[in-house]
Amino acid sequence: MTAVSEAVTSSAMRTREATVRRFALTDTIFRTATRLSAILVLVLLGGVAVSLIAGSWEALSKFGFSFLTTESWNPVTENFGALAPIYGTIVTSAIAILIAVPIGIGIAVFLTELCPRPFRRPIGIAVELLAGIPSIIYGIWGLFVFAPFLQTTIQPFIIKLFHGIPGLSSLFAGPPYGIGLLTSSLILAIMVLPFITSITKDVFDTVPAVLKESAYGIGCTTWEVTRRVTIPYTRVGIMGGVMLGLGRALGETMAVTFVIGNAHRISASLFAPGTTISATIANEFTEADGELYTSSLVALGLILFIITFIILALARYMLLRIDSRTGA
Amino acid sequence: MSTAASLHRSRKRKNAVMMALCTIAAGIGLVWLALILGALLYKGISGLSLSVFTEMTPPPGDAGGLLNAIYGSIVMTIIGIVVGTPIGVLAGTYMAEYGRFSRLTTVVRFINDILLSAPSIIVGLFVYELMVRPMGHFSAIAGAVALSILVIPVVVRTTEDMLNLVPNALREAGTAIGAPRWVVIRSVAYRAALSGIVTGILLAIARISGETAPLLFTALNNQFWSSNLNAPMASLPVTIFQFALSPYEEWQQLAWTGALIITLTVLGLSIFARSLTGRREDR
Amino acid sequence: MKPMLSTDLNVAETAVEKAKIEVKNLNFYYGQSKALKDINLSLPERSVTAFIGPSGCGKSTLLRVLNRIYELYPKQSAEGQVLLDGKNILDRSQDLNLLRTKIGMVFQKPTPFPMSIYENIAFGVRLYEKISKAEMDNRVEQALKRAALWNEVKDKLNASGQSLSGGQQQRLCIARTVAVKPEVILLDEPASALDPLSTAKIEELIDELQADYTIVIVTHNMQQAARVSRQTAFMYLGELVEFDRTEKIFTSPREKRTQDYITGRFG
Repeated sequence: MTAVSEAVTSSAMRTREATVRRFALTDTIFRTATRLSAILVLVLLGGVAVSLIAGSWEALSKFGFSFLTTESWNPVTENFGALAPIYGTIVTSAIAILIAVPIGIGIAVFLTELCPRPFRRPIGIAVELLAGIPSIIYGIWGLFVFAPFLQTTIQPFIIKLFHGIPGLSSLFAGPPYGIGLLTSSLILAIMVLPFITSITKDVFDTVPAVLKESAYGIGCTTWEVTRRVTIPYTRVGIMGGVMLGLGRALGETMAVTFVIGNAHRISASLFAPGTTISATIANEFTEADGELYTSSLVALGLILFIITFIILALARYMLLRIDSRTGA
Repeated sequence: MSTAASLHRSRKRKNAVMMALCTIAAGIGLVWLALILGALLYKGISGLSLSVFTEMTPPPGDAGGLLNAIYGSIVMTIIGIVVGTPIGVLAGTYMAEYGRFSRLTTVVRFINDILLSAPSIIVGLFVYELMVRPMGHFSAIAGAVALSILVIPVVVRTTEDMLNLVPNALREAGTAIGAPRWVVIRSVAYRAALSGIVTGILLAIARISGETAPLLFTALNNQFWSSNLNAPMASLPVTIFQFALSPYEEWQQLAWTGALIITLTVLGLSIFARSLTGRREDR
Repeated sequence: MKPMLSTDLNVAETAVEKAKIEVKNLNFYYGQSKALKDINLSLPERSVTAFIGPSGCGKSTLLRVLNRIYELYPKQSAEGQVLLDGKNILDRSQDLNLLRTKIGMVFQKPTPFPMSIYENIAFGVRLYEKISKAEMDNRVEQALKRAALWNEVKDKLNASGQSLSGGQQQRLCIARTVAVKPEVILLDEPASALDPLSTAKIEELIDELQADYTIVIVTHNMQQAARVSRQTAFMYLGELVEFDRTEKIFTSPREKRTQDYITGRFG
């Protein structure tokens, strides 16, 4: 009797050990698969960098450093310089950020301090939905609705207003095309607004309630609490959000391509058509004939990649600092 | 005394002004959403008819539909999701489970966050160099790969976040019963994080279904019906791009209608995704 | 002062009762800091042993060494010996999954898996045994009966485990642990998150289970230790201060620190 039950147990033990060995194997396979996938993420970014460098090699070795400082972009003579797209990219993104940051912070303050509770979530969601709308929608809207509106109303008004004032008159010189650098900047501002708003709102939420309550306790107004407590406390996080928005604006392609006008030149006027790095690539890549032309476009991509990588890395670094503080 | 009172008044006034400005800012945000949606509905609906879904994209000056473009978008989105999701989920699993405390995870998280916001046109260039140039021609499969590269970081991020929300006690309980790690992950952690992971996948679909830039020089475009993955394929966003910038009225109308279809799809997906996790938070 | 306790007494006691688990010269580290200092004790088979002591004394850490659950986290390490039926489980060659099928564990907070009541129990059984549906039904029923939960859930086996009350969830976790037929059951403050009525049920259950299982319970509740255990180990600052029969610990402890703790002077 005892012998039988012991035999049963030991056979059960043997199947159990076989199962354990199978488990060890499947676990190793699964762990390796997850690890390889994680490494693939690194490989992807590395692959992007390598392929861009390889693709742009011909242009970079031909033009060298002067690629960055040449304004001319001439497919006929095969003389390419990146200055105009770089200028357009930086100017449109900078103006977009200048417009979007105060409005974004304003919305975040409204949502955390002023908005009646029942509306908080719906409005927050509505602003975030703006972030989900594909950029081509902003593009088509900008081209058919926004640009004509600017062309017929705002631009003539501004041109008239600043006429004869040194500096401003050349910054806003006509004719009013509707499309151009300023229109692109405004569209970009609308596009990055939701990013800046939602991140600012998130970092505002990390401010400890006691901190705000004690400021209210000594009689501060809502604005003073925001200005003296909330914003200083979350400064790094807001900067992170701004950088993230800047990263988006720099790389944004479709919306800008529709309304920038695609002119490879640097004009003093913000009403003039221009181009950005991404718009140039989007417009010309499939039509580029000749290795050097294609390579120059890839070189533009490489420049964009480097700029956005630095900006996004800074953004993440700043947001990490906020995270680690709340985590601690 | 009077200075204190006037100081108090000026502080109150300043507060009122600033708060009014903030409210105006919120108004501006909502007004843009309304303006864009309004214009889309107004211009898009007038062109919405059955033929949009049953007819091919027309030659210039003709009437037609968007069938091949819609088909192409669906095909490439599905392939992009099917390729990108497993990689993203597995990588996120490594970061939250096996490699939670490893140095590799910190690095991958940082790089993934950069990929998440990297310009999508760069991904297009990458896939062009990776696939289109060696193959010698544009193809739907290259477009799908470009989309899958956009899917991965979104899914990695949400998978890791959602698995990190699963309480460690559950993992310990699974482990204590003798289950190996992968069974604990599959049967306990994935189950507990399911709605969050699905939300991530939905958001990824929403993101890529409107992407244009990475398709421009991978899948290119195709005026005709094509189900050949090894040939150029039309897609809704690229068709919109081409038609909107054309001088033909029929094309421009189709572009608006296509834009409306994409926007409704994307908004629908995002709202659905949000409602999934929203319910989770309430519970 | 030597933390090595009356080994003679242990020997005398365990002369009649076989030791199921023997801990020898066990040290445990969280990174650089030493959390357990040279622990030696012997847990007799089919009886309840309680670990008591103020929070942070290492009682939970010691419990978590016994099934090596600490291996889930980096920078935690144990040295010394833990013998299960004479075999050192701290050995590198010890398969952890196999170890945990022999040594089950129930946690402080109820941890039902995100699946049905039935599946919560079948899940662990299915891992190592291929049995028919009828056999499985029987196993689930037996386990639930063993945990005194059957009558409450027999009509809703397909309901989510998370839909049960806290006390029921904890009994479900005990049923789940019992179902895989372990030899030892570790309980980490199993009633600390429960109301008094549920606590009483759990204690009753522990009393019944000791007929078949070697049970180790960590508790911060001294009355609970006195009620359910046969042996009690008092720990303080990572050391095992005193280990003896429960009534001895609570009536005439040898060490002053034990005395101070059980009379509520600290902790």
